[in-house]
Amino acid sequence: MLDEPGGDLLERFVQGDQVAFESLFRLFQIEVFQWVFRIVRDASAAEDVVVETFWRAYRGRARFDSSRSFGAWLRRIATNAALDHLRTTRRGWRTGQMSREVPAPAGSDPAIVDAVARAFRTLPPRLKVVATLALIEERPLAEIAEALDVPVGTVKSRVFRAVRALRTELRRLGVRP
Amino acid sequence: MTEDRLQQMLKSALPPAVDREPSRDLWPLVLNRAEPRAGWSWLDVSLAAGVTLVLIMFPGWLSLLAYHL
Repeated sequence: MLDEPGGDLLERFVQGDQVAFESLFRLFQIEVFQWVFRIVRDASAAEDVVVETFWRAYRGRARFDSSRSFGAWLRRIATNAALDHLRTTRRGWRTGQMSREVPAPAGSDPAIVDAVARAFRTLPPRLKVVATLALIEERPLAEIAEALDVPVGTVKSRVFRAVRALRTELRRLGVRP
Repeated sequence: MTEDRLQQMLKSALPPAVDREPSRDLWPLVLNRAEPRAGWSWLDVSLAAGVTLVLIMFPGWLSLLAYHL
């Protein structure tokens, strides 16, 4: 995560100063984009979510506690916006998008890749986000917990439920280890 | 199926995202989103209420209104 911006900049942002808002946007947009892209895995959708994130941050600036981390606050907003995006795009990750944006490694069995991708798509967004960040991106559980604003125990429980659901779906699709 | 095996299959099918950057400057879009959107003014609301009331009282005027729209 980036260094925290100065207190004066944050103070001006909270007061609605658009120059301060743009400075914060320029400082954090790439970090937010990369975080969101990990979740939605589609560059165009990630750009939309970044715009939504900063809009929500600006709208909710009065609720920001300047004694706490701006980066962590923004990441929570970004995670919620990405989650909302997954909820509204009913099919979530489409196979075509995945192959275009984040291709599977050469040599992967296409049938297994397809089955795993299909099984993954059946996960509810709440579990999908946690499974993506914990199992695919291998982010620390504490970082995921902070981004989702839930205790680490909740993240562990969601990972467990996601794994169980994936196993069930893969068995249904005829995939065995 | 162990969790490690499942994780390996997942990472093979859905590889971790490579860090990348937005394809364009998103600031103008944020700015557009943050600008207050035009809502209905009191004049708009009064006019709509007036027209609705007139149409309830004189339904036959609907065709006249449709002709002028």
